[in-house]
Amino acid sequence: MKQDTAAKMMIISACAFFGLALTMGILTALKFVVPTVGDIEYLSMPRLRMLHTNINLFGWLLQANMGILFWILPRILHTKLFSEKLGVAMGILYNLTMIGGLIGIATGHVKNVEYGEIPSPFDYLVAVCWVMFFINVVGTVAIRKVKYLYVTVWYTLGAVIWTTFVYITGNMLSQMPMVDGTNQANLIWFYVHNAVGLIFTPLGVAIAYYLIPKQLNTPIYSHKLSMIGFWVISFVYVWTGAHHMIHGPSPHWLQTVSIIFSFSLIIPVMAVITNFFGTFATAPRGTRMNGPIPKLLMMGTVYYIFTCLQGPFQAIRSVNEITSKTDWVVGHAHMALFGAFSYYAMAGVYYVAPKLAGRKLYSEKLGDLHFWIMTLASVPFFAVLWIGGVIQGFAWLNPEITFVQSLEALKHAHWMRFFSGAFIFGAYFLFFYNIMQTFFGKYREEDEAEAVVAE
Amino acid sequence: MKIDVEKSLLWTATGAFLLFAVGAVLTTVVPPMVNPEMWTTEHTVHEYTEQEKRGIAIYKSEGCVYCHTQQIRDLESDQRRYGWRLVNAPVSSSWEYVNDRYNFLGTKRTGPDLARVGGKYSSEWHWAHFKDPRNMGEKFPNRKGIYEKVSIMPSFDYLTDEEIKDLTAYIQTLGRNKNWRVNAEGQPLNDYEK
Repeated sequence: MKQDTAAKMMIISACAFFGLALTMGILTALKFVVPTVGDIEYLSMPRLRMLHTNINLFGWLLQANMGILFWILPRILHTKLFSEKLGVAMGILYNLTMIGGLIGIATGHVKNVEYGEIPSPFDYLVAVCWVMFFINVVGTVAIRKVKYLYVTVWYTLGAVIWTTFVYITGNMLSQMPMVDGTNQANLIWFYVHNAVGLIFTPLGVAIAYYLIPKQLNTPIYSHKLSMIGFWVISFVYVWTGAHHMIHGPSPHWLQTVSIIFSFSLIIPVMAVITNFFGTFATAPRGTRMNGPIPKLLMMGTVYYIFTCLQGPFQAIRSVNEITSKTDWVVGHAHMALFGAFSYYAMAGVYYVAPKLAGRKLYSEKLGDLHFWIMTLASVPFFAVLWIGGVIQGFAWLNPEITFVQSLEALKHAHWMRFFSGAFIFGAYFLFFYNIMQTFFGKYREEDEAEAVVAE
Repeated sequence: MKIDVEKSLLWTATGAFLLFAVGAVLTTVVPPMVNPEMWTTEHTVHEYTEQEKRGIAIYKSEGCVYCHTQQIRDLESDQRRYGWRLVNAPVSSSWEYVNDRYNFLGTKRTGPDLARVGGKYSSEWHWAHFKDPRNMGEKFPNRKGIYEKVSIMPSFDYLTDEEIKDLTAYIQTLGRNKNWRVNAEGQPLNDYEK
């Protein structure tokens, strides 16, 4: 089978799913301001929200990451993908599973697992796909032609190992008959938080660790920081799930443990970020920000700092009292999964797509435009969610303010979220068009000769 | 023997797994062992009827949990807000949930918390509210003036009458494992609006 077929297929379908996910997002945002829009069962607000999170996480982000890594891993390891056929089979199964799972969600067949609503048997099929990915990753590392494993490989290996357990705990063990009440809640939050922390963080960071030095054509700033970042995160991240239940009905010691470890996350995060910025700082000044790829990587890193500084602080009991359960949390989650990791994934797609198509990116200018619109819209998007969240948090402290009054106060914030979200949605189409043109489009004849570049 | 982790697939993988496993075991397997109230209790906890179980299934498939939490946190503000007529709502305890096959503790309050909502409103009120939260009809006029106008809850008009009854039956059970509202004689109140 032709090399990189799996990577190509997964990247293209991931980009399509991204659009679907943003459509669900914008519809959800619209329902916050005009709740009567689309008043039918399959478009009810909770269903849209479940579709929005699941398509984003699994249809877009995970699939894009897997596709990009299918291209990156063989390059770092100076070999071919362990089995292209297995990769393609996995890609096809994965996409069929997604479609089945999403239809399940839309018709109300869901599990009570946040981020894991996809019902069985589709969640079991996701696990099967993951095992196929696992075999391919480990196999590719095993047949490598270089001695040393680069940081990207560590993170990918970590992710495939950790995620196997995290996914099974959240989606299968939590649904076992003897698991109920707060015990079930604890397992689900273990999954929810580690889905972000041990699936998307390591995969996103793995991609950035490859792309930043490669794109800037400069070595990574510090090998020691890479090691600190990786080994500390593998120990620290997994403890934090219970911080979703601070002040709630879960054991007090477990909450305290989760707070301590949430705060400790500052260590690996700062190691990674110092490393990324250090690499940017040592790159040649004149060209280091040319085109959409380094811009997306830079902005993704900036958002990564923000979200990872919020995390430790909002886990502190007194801060949590205000921010928890409000729109703030929504802003925080968006900045991690959209701001940081989707930015890295988009950078990865911009980098890998031309290589897969065997020619240059269709338009760097369009890529820049996409970056600027999306970034300028995402700043107010995040900001209104935090500001709204703090307003809500303080309003709830005051017994004189009824619940609906606290909701009414957020009307402007919800409108603002809808409008800034609409710009993000619009910018997505520039991205999608650019990538599709790169793969399938016709280039002008004089450009064609120039655009066809050997890999 | 000198081990060079960065050259070894086996050592990198094993190291990453072992470091992860410590935290994974201590935060998932150990808590129910040292805190048995997470799954068992000596208190009397409501056993759900068949109708209420159907209601739970609807609560799950409609995704109510994405806007409504079910936990009174150990905070004065939660206890006051979700209390009833100057009686603070008691803080939610782990044991109250042991019969919940599916937990709906939740992480986001776009709407109010429902942990102690059972009995606060009549089933008729819930009926009108599910049908159209923004226009509950003549029987339930705007009590505080802004209620109907600003609610952003979806209308669950598409549920059948039976389904709304099942869902309401479940909601009326919420928070009753602690008898926190009593009448002048100290008897537990079941339907406060009547």
